[in-house]
Amino acid sequence: MSGHEIKRRDFLKVMGWGGVGATLAGCDMPTTVTLEEGKEEVVSYMSPEEFVIPGIGIYYASTCQQCSAGCGIYGRVREGRVLKLEGNPASQINGGKLCQMGQAGVQTHYNPDRITKPMLRKGKELVEVSWDEAMAELDKRVGKSSSVDGQRVAWFSGSMSGHQSVLLDAYLESVGSKSHFVYEAINSAVSRAVNAEMLGDATPHYRFDKAALLLSFGADLLGASSSPVHYSTQYGEFRSAPRGMHVQIEPSMSLTGANADLWQPVIPGTEGVLAYGLINMLVNKMGYDASGLSLEVRGLIGKYDPAYAAKVTGISEERIEKIAGLLKSKSPSLVLAGTSTEGQRDGYNATAAVTLLNVILGNVGKTIESSGTFPFPQMAAKAGSSRDLLSFASALGKKQYDVVFFHGTNPVHTAPNYLGLVDNLADVPFKVTLSMFLDETAAVSDLVLPLLSSLEDWGTHVADVGGSTQTTDVTIQQPLMKQLYDDTRGFGDIVLSLLKARGVEEYTGFDDYYAYLRDAFSSTPEAITGGLGTKAFWQGSLQKGAVSIQLDKGALQSNPFASEVSEHKADPSYPMHLAPSARLGMWDGRHANIPWLQEAPDQISKVVWESWAEIHPSTAAKMGVTNGDMIKVESRQGAIKVKVYVHRGVHPNVVAVPMGRGHEQYGRYAKGRGVNPLKILSQVTENKTGELALYGTRVKVSNASDKGTLIHMGDSESQVGRKLVSTVTAEVFKNTEGGGNSVA
Amino acid sequence: MSESRIFLSSEANTHRSGGLPRVMWMILLAFAVMLPMVVNAADAIPPKGTYDGKDVLQPIEFPHDTHAKVNQINCMYCHTYARRSKVAGIPPTSKCMGCHTVIATDKPRIKKLTEYWEKGEPPKWKKVHDVPDFVHFTHEKHLRRFVFNADLPVENVSEVCGFCHGDVKNMTVANKRKPLNMGFCVRCHEANGGPSDCWKCHK
Repeated sequence: MSGHEIKRRDFLKVMGWGGVGATLAGCDMPTTVTLEEGKEEVVSYMSPEEFVIPGIGIYYASTCQQCSAGCGIYGRVREGRVLKLEGNPASQINGGKLCQMGQAGVQTHYNPDRITKPMLRKGKELVEVSWDEAMAELDKRVGKSSSVDGQRVAWFSGSMSGHQSVLLDAYLESVGSKSHFVYEAINSAVSRAVNAEMLGDATPHYRFDKAALLLSFGADLLGASSSPVHYSTQYGEFRSAPRGMHVQIEPSMSLTGANADLWQPVIPGTEGVLAYGLINMLVNKMGYDASGLSLEVRGLIGKYDPAYAAKVTGISEERIEKIAGLLKSKSPSLVLAGTSTEGQRDGYNATAAVTLLNVILGNVGKTIESSGTFPFPQMAAKAGSSRDLLSFASALGKKQYDVVFFHGTNPVHTAPNYLGLVDNLADVPFKVTLSMFLDETAAVSDLVLPLLSSLEDWGTHVADVGGSTQTTDVTIQQPLMKQLYDDTRGFGDIVLSLLKARGVEEYTGFDDYYAYLRDAFSSTPEAITGGLGTKAFWQGSLQKGAVSIQLDKGALQSNPFASEVSEHKADPSYPMHLAPSARLGMWDGRHANIPWLQEAPDQISKVVWESWAEIHPSTAAKMGVTNGDMIKVESRQGAIKVKVYVHRGVHPNVVAVPMGRGHEQYGRYAKGRGVNPLKILSQVTENKTGELALYGTRVKVSNASDKGTLIHMGDSESQVGRKLVSTVTAEVFKNTEGGGNSVA
Repeated sequence: MSESRIFLSSEANTHRSGGLPRVMWMILLAFAVMLPMVVNAADAIPPKGTYDGKDVLQPIEFPHDTHAKVNQINCMYCHTYARRSKVAGIPPTSKCMGCHTVIATDKPRIKKLTEYWEKGEPPKWKKVHDVPDFVHFTHEKHLRRFVFNADLPVENVSEVCGFCHGDVKNMTVANKRKPLNMGFCVRCHEANGGPSDCWKCHK
């Protein structure tokens, strides 16, 4: 259009036609929302249940599947449609609360980008096929009569538990496969390993309510943790009178860090040294008894004197002493490690140093208790780790598999570039994805089986974290409404039909997964049913949403150990650290296709619908960039270009780019929005556990000389003199608002 | 969590049962007829305004006049949810068949209805009266105010229905006769002391 001026009248003409076009397009819409008489349809029930009153909701209990925490939910159902999800007050995990990801479950369910038919690769394209054809293809490739070697079949999933897990184990056994990889990009695998070794319990029960001080080395309990709602509730108790004090030490501010009384930035990879420095100070200066520790451990602690810790971490000796003093004066305390501490080359040793603080401070047995043992190990949670991703990728490199199933995870999106997952997957002859959406992994698969949404499917779940020390819940997932698409199937139903096709006798009698579950419930021991009949027990369990299981009593051990944390070295060509932080929202990227979560402002930056990089004002000044300017973040594995958010809640040597966006597939709301920092992660692995070192990547950051606008709520930090929120100084507050009573 | 929520244990996707409410309604109606007449809707000031709605082609040309005028059937006998919910509800097909398995079975429209019933498929009626999605209108509150709390005999309920729906008794297929726009609502709320805060309707 350039080169000739558009006359105003022509312009209006174009607009006029545009308007008509839009109106015509509107007429073709399959459903019409209008007040005009005779346009919308209104359909009555044939013969409704007596309790059904149009316009009034009925509530059914189920289990949230938006992350692996397994919160109990109630779905409000009206006229056969689920409209709203709430927390189930009877749930031990979330006690009636539900986070934004859970609330947005209805948008996963009603998402317009759901796959509605099986898809099979024919030539280069995935084309829609019937279930008969899909199952015939499966039978040909991996069925009983196929020539497949069971050892060369792998299943790659997200965290799972309950009867689905039991059924899947049975299937893999029938095939002869021993390869079930369980992967979560957001996990606590390193802490679990340390806890198991030092305390004899991978997921001990934390008593936040008893703690007077919470010292968190990057544990984002309220945000991206293993059970955000559970921990938020616990945190609420911890903060209620007498108010516990909270110190957070992390490279970039998390939602949890934003709530702390003292927030201390730290260079990723130096947390272990800081923890040892604190132990050293507690023992040498504050009279804590270390005589219970081995000579070796004591010797090691001796090496980390506060002056050395201050030098390595850049945190002053006075500050270290202040934190040590708080630990002493506020007892019992609770010290926890999170992803920024775990996700290092030496993450295991650093996490061990953090856990050792609990031992020295005498917190074990006070704020840390045994979580007990779940008596049905076959149903217990299989918690995901990133080690499974790395070993899967290495097995692919050695061409160990002919058939791979993917379910409940999207590794092609979350795996770093250096793993070469896409190239290696191309050599796997047959890849099957069970999914609701055409995500990056489904898009490179040969067969895609469309799943029911979690609000349409049956299941049982056992949470990894949550519950009391006496009981834990087997939570029930039941359909809140009839399935939206006829050609989608439940996960349990698919695995059951695979088992039946294998001719496994135990399972041939079940018509569907529901029948299998009913049967499983009918054989529940009387100690659990409380003597109720089969039907009454089932109905009662559905109504409550869970079955409470008595735990076997456990006991914590104390096996304190310590290993050296290797020296933190500067990297002159890549001087900055990358923090691929996780958020309660996008999570690991699985929620990028939910518009509610895309438009919900980020808890820290308030950014919506796109990615951003958090850098410290001093770094921004050096680079000459301000909010919205494009910068290039480059590691040895690649580069991303992203807009800047200048923010004091990040260490000057750190650039934080939250994960979750940057999808190449995954529907209209996710595709092409933002960047994916996980792609440029360096090849750094945690030494002891083999986990991916999420915070171990060094980057260089440069000004990409491109001015932009960052779309975020509350664009100005200033109130332009309007006193929208009035403020007083801390000094005035102490004198006039009872601030003198504050523990801070 | 409010007390009025209903928690049920049965599975959500199966809805089939008989017509106990119908029996209860018959008893209720018989009782209502015996009540002495106390007041009429005189303490209500009906909303003003008219609208010339177009004819709507329905799957079955339902004669409101035959039911409500000739046979004197109460509006709430079929639109039974009006007094309990925000919507009045299109009667379930089972309710039609409650009478029409024996009454007027030879009439073409009833034959058509029976076909639907036997196919197990309710007719897809066209909506005539509607308010935008950002308006929260509830039948239940209006009936409470103008019928039950006003001691209006239930058999006269059609006077109140007529405030917004016109003289349905004299129509076959219902036709929109009132504007049902915001001015129409607000003027009536003013006249009758109805709530006037924005959030009552826009919530």
